[in-house]
Amino acid sequence: MNIVTILISAGTLLGLAVIFSYILGWASNAFKIEIDPRAEAALEVLPGANCGGCGYVGCGAYAAAVAAEKAAVNLCSVGGPNCAAELAAIMGVEVGETFPLRAVVHCGANTEDRLQRNEYRGEQKCFTANLVNGIQGCVYGCLGFGDCVEACNYDAIQVLDGLATVDYQNCIGCGMCAKACPRNIITIIPFKKESILVVPCSNHDAGKLVKSVCNVGCIGCKACTKVSKIFSVIDNLAVIDYDKYLEADSEELAKAAEKCPVKMLTFLKTRIK
Amino acid sequence: MSYLADIFLIALSAALINNFVLYYFVGICPFVGVSKRVEMALGMGFAVTFVMTIAAFLCWIITTFILMPGAPLSKWIAGFFVPANVAAGIDLTILSYIVYIFAIASSVQFVEMYVRKFFPALYRSFGVFLPLITTNCAILFACLTIMSKIVGVDNPADAWDLGRSLTLAIFGGVGFTIAIVIMGGIREDLELCDIPKPFQGVAITLIVGGILAMAFMGFTGVDVGLRNAIMPL
Repeated sequence: MNIVTILISAGTLLGLAVIFSYILGWASNAFKIEIDPRAEAALEVLPGANCGGCGYVGCGAYAAAVAAEKAAVNLCSVGGPNCAAELAAIMGVEVGETFPLRAVVHCGANTEDRLQRNEYRGEQKCFTANLVNGIQGCVYGCLGFGDCVEACNYDAIQVLDGLATVDYQNCIGCGMCAKACPRNIITIIPFKKESILVVPCSNHDAGKLVKSVCNVGCIGCKACTKVSKIFSVIDNLAVIDYDKYLEADSEELAKAAEKCPVKMLTFLKTRIK
Repeated sequence: MSYLADIFLIALSAALINNFVLYYFVGICPFVGVSKRVEMALGMGFAVTFVMTIAAFLCWIITTFILMPGAPLSKWIAGFFVPANVAAGIDLTILSYIVYIFAIASSVQFVEMYVRKFFPALYRSFGVFLPLITTNCAILFACLTIMSKIVGVDNPADAWDLGRSLTLAIFGGVGFTIAIVIMGGIREDLELCDIPKPFQGVAITLIVGGILAMAFMGFTGVDVGLRNAIMPL
């Protein structure tokens, strides 16, 4: 190993390094990809929760869609109106009025309100319990094993007294619980007022059958439809049209809740950022 | 005819008989890590084949013209600084490992940029695998095999040309793809099996890999037999 070999080895490596780095440097310029600066700015504004509530895979995908003008700016329920306003400023568009989206459980029956039939000893999951008939009288309502609790990343839903209950201090409306529920009784609803009326029942059976299995189930009597036109009864179940919700004043809604013979229409309150 | 037969035997040997993963046990990390789904395994296999071909091409050029004793390019450049008889004896093969890793890493970077620019769909499907392959030992193994066939031979006429080197790389990659796809298929079915707790995860994967390697041992000797059949001494 003489000095010449060392020098030549070092020189060879240096030469190869120069060649490769020159090629890579040229390539990084020649193959540069134009990234829309608005997409980067949009990603900065978004909360980074990657919850998928907007319908895109993550915040990055939603930011790219917004920058490509394929998605509306107000889809992010985590960021809420502030985020929508900032996105609108980046994109130079007008933002429509946004409402916080929140999960609502369409069942209001606690353990003592509903008819329990047979004891269920299988796996303690709604998903499996839903496959078995005859656990409880109502085949539409909450099973209470808490698949939605497991799905929630924000600690915003608990099973209290056999009924899944949303904690509106924490709920951001990402919709994971709605996807997890095997009976599809959780929906995501825009909270257009601080206190919003919901129908906490999913039972489509006729009134007499509902009465036999649940104390607080909707019997489809249509009393609420006579008070306000935002109500309708579809398949023996009262439904609120939330597109028209702001047309009804709060007195009218309170009266409708009062008129309900089973007193099941409920006002839910959320925290509006 | 003998050249074609040689190519055929190299290809068969690299793909099946002396399979990189199941005979030499190189490239085990992607073999265990990315073989959970068949389509992932296929993507990884294609990426390895692609990178291995490019690396083999670079490796052959670097070895032949720069690294091997009496390589023309290094001889010519060294001729300016040292006497001709010293320049002719320069042997840079000690640099092989570092230079190959260098070449592999740079070419992977280059290919990644190129694919990202011109084939975005392709980039989305196997772009994530490309940086992983930079440090894959199977690629370095292919380069070192090619070097041993160029530098170590007694008769310079027997040294591997570019065609043989590329054949080794492409079919070595095909062999890797075969192995990892078989593994992916087995692991997809394994998920439905009731595996005892101590064997779950990587343990059962390595056991399956070992059994697979034993199965591939059945090919041993096929290349020698074929060589004797095609080219009788």
